[in-house]
Amino acid sequence: MDLTPDEDQMALQTATNDWCRAHMPLAEARSRPEGLWQQLEMMGWVGMTAPAMDLDHPTEALVFAELGRFLAPVALLSSAVAARWTKFDGKVALALAGTDNIRLFDSHNATHALGLFDANIGSVNIDADCETRRSLDLSTSIAHLQSNPPVETINDPRAALHLQLLVAAFSVGCADAARDMAADYATLRQQFDRPIGWFQSLKHICSDMAVRAAVARSQLYYAACALQAGESDAAFHVTAAKRLADQAALDNGRANIQVHGGIGMTDEASPHLCLKRAHLLQFLAPAESRILLAVSP
Amino acid sequence: MDIGFSPEEMRFREQCRDWLHANIPAEIRPLDAADAIDFDKHWQRQLFDAGWAGINWPTDYGGRGLSIVQQVIWLEEYAKAHAPWIGANFVGINHGGPTLILNASEEQKAFHLPQILKGEAIWCQGFSEPGAGSDLAGIQTRGRIDGDELVINGSKIWTSFAHVADWQELVLRTEDGSRRHAGLSWVICDMHAPGITIRPIRKMSGQTEFAEVFYDDVRIPLNNVVGGLGNGWKVAMSTLSFERGTGFIADQVKQSEEIAELISKARANGMINNDHIADQLAQMRAEVAALRAMTYRNISEVVRTGQPGPEASIIRLFTAELGQRLERMAVLLLGEVILDFAYGDDNAVHDYLRGFASTIAGGTAQIQRDIIGERLLGLPKSR
Ligand SMILES: Cc1cc2nc3c(=O)[nH]c(=O)nc-3n(C[C@H](O)[C@H](O)[C@H](O)COP(=O)(O)OP(=O)(O)OC[C@H]3O[C@@H](n4cnc5c(N)ncnc54)[C@H](O)[C@@H]3O)c2cc1C
Repeated sequence: MDLTPDEDQMALQTATNDWCRAHMPLAEARSRPEGLWQQLEMMGWVGMTAPAMDLDHPTEALVFAELGRFLAPVALLSSAVAARWTKFDGKVALALAGTDNIRLFDSHNATHALGLFDANIGSVNIDADCETRRSLDLSTSIAHLQSNPPVETINDPRAALHLQLLVAAFSVGCADAARDMAADYATLRQQFDRPIGWFQSLKHICSDMAVRAAVARSQLYYAACALQAGESDAAFHVTAAKRLADQAALDNGRANIQVHGGIGMTDEASPHLCLKRAHLLQFLAPAESRILLAVSP
Repeated sequence: MDIGFSPEEMRFREQCRDWLHANIPAEIRPLDAADAIDFDKHWQRQLFDAGWAGINWPTDYGGRGLSIVQQVIWLEEYAKAHAPWIGANFVGINHGGPTLILNASEEQKAFHLPQILKGEAIWCQGFSEPGAGSDLAGIQTRGRIDGDELVINGSKIWTSFAHVADWQELVLRTEDGSRRHAGLSWVICDMHAPGITIRPIRKMSGQTEFAEVFYDDVRIPLNNVVGGLGNGWKVAMSTLSFERGTGFIADQVKQSEEIAELISKARANGMINNDHIADQLAQMRAEVAALRAMTYRNISEVVRTGQPGPEASIIRLFTAELGQRLERMAVLLLGEVILDFAYGDDNAVHDYLRGFASTIAGGTAQIQRDIIGERLLGLPKSR
């Protein structure tokens, strides 16, 4: 038993973080440059989950949590699952099958989209004339598929768990980002002649953000190991990870805005980017209470 | 990263399980400290004789010298088997002993550690005073140096098991006119020494388990100072790190059993059909799983680096608050049956009332949040 990253994993984590900091700063998530996807492909983030790469789930979770910390494009999630479980490589848009119709995210230059259809991973063709605009999460475009396209599904339940795990990793990163943004601001911003983080009512908001992020990250690691080892309760653990990660991202997203005061709710400051991302992730492979309440997980 | 255990560890787990299965006392541990003391001592002796005391303590002092992972396995199996709480041995085993291992002289260790492991010496913790709770540096109990003795005057409060204890971790002011963290010493105080008066205090859950302790010209040899005169704050902090750091391992398993029981109770009485309750249960099931993950992460960190990561303070706060939410849910599911509670009952209502301690004792939830904000996030110190 060892739930800490080993040296190779830590090196990969640091390298991912360094690259993101330099080339994909969080503040730019309000409008990602056109060429970003090509850069991500060149760096290998897109194809890293292909079977030939033989990357284990714990390592994947670590890397995706770092990518998620910088609000990386959400098509990385669908493309990663596609690379492992379908014949598509390269960019695959993210599909969200809702009650009304199918929403597509990050569909620019993609011919297919992948997402959960009922309980299974499925992929659809993207119409050429599909109209896109900005979504609530400003980093991604959204499009509505008007027709009911045929869905090609993958019947292996591990594929759905794979997506759920990676989304949870993105949420963990998002929760971390909000926590760090809040703590930095609470140290810098002065009122009453002292940093606002001196005031306990603010300090404790930040401490609770740290607790939520640590809880979610721990469960993410456990879930990744359980899925990797093919444990019989892997679905339970991945679901638990997703639920806690979503909550951490949402709650930290909101708390971060409160810590920032007026600037926190402007378009120009970054806190809303984390909250909006959390709202998007919340709908992807959502955690089902039924699985958490099962008699024997 | 992996969540598997080695064949050797799995064999060890089986040994723990087999022994516990065959040896757990049929008798239920009494609630009051005075009634439980014989039970506690006898059970600790039985654990020692079978090699289950001090699993990761050094062999020189009666421990087994095994790994921390094996200690965790033992505690997991212990909780799973519903073995009795170690009760009055809590202070000696969980933080008195570990503090001595880290800070005491060879002589002090050789004398006290084996007695703690064998359940022969009961310890209590004399830190808090009427005027020094969260603000521990406000300690006023004084020890005047007289030849090779300390002459102690003052009082302590909330001292768990004081009225059944033989020894005390006593933190007091040994330097005249010193203030705050300076001039304090950590002393081994003989609870049977003349001049000590103990007034037991009853809790709202019914049992009499802690007490107020008065010192009236109590004489303790200077030799009983641990870690050097005037170094009491540093030694006390190591005690608190053990107190705050290790207790959660057993809680993690206990809580996982509790949530499973709560879910089946809610199913049985139909309350699971209330969406709000179902949602809370699902949430706590996920959180209990995460608590185990966090515990394992922390233990892995100890194995890898020799010390727990900074996130230990997060585990402690999270465990305490999750425990209280579980206890609240348990009484919610009981309904008006909670009104039948009487002192002496050992049930969910008792656990609920007693559980208020987990966000107060050993540093309140507010103080824990300060620690997380300041030490983990680097926010400015408020105190
Ligand atoms: C069951 C139980 C067993 C105990 N056993 C022992 C024992 O064996 N030995 C021992 O030495 N002590 C023991 N204690 C004492 C325990 O450590 C103290 O109760 C605790 O540290 C709080 O101190 P206090 O009770 O004086 O509360 P106070 O410090 O007066 O706190 C009252 C309230 O004010 C809040 N508060 C205080 N300061 C701050 C601040 N700076 N910022 C924000 N909020 C603040 C607290 O969080 C709390 O909500 C025990 C307590 C309990 C409940």
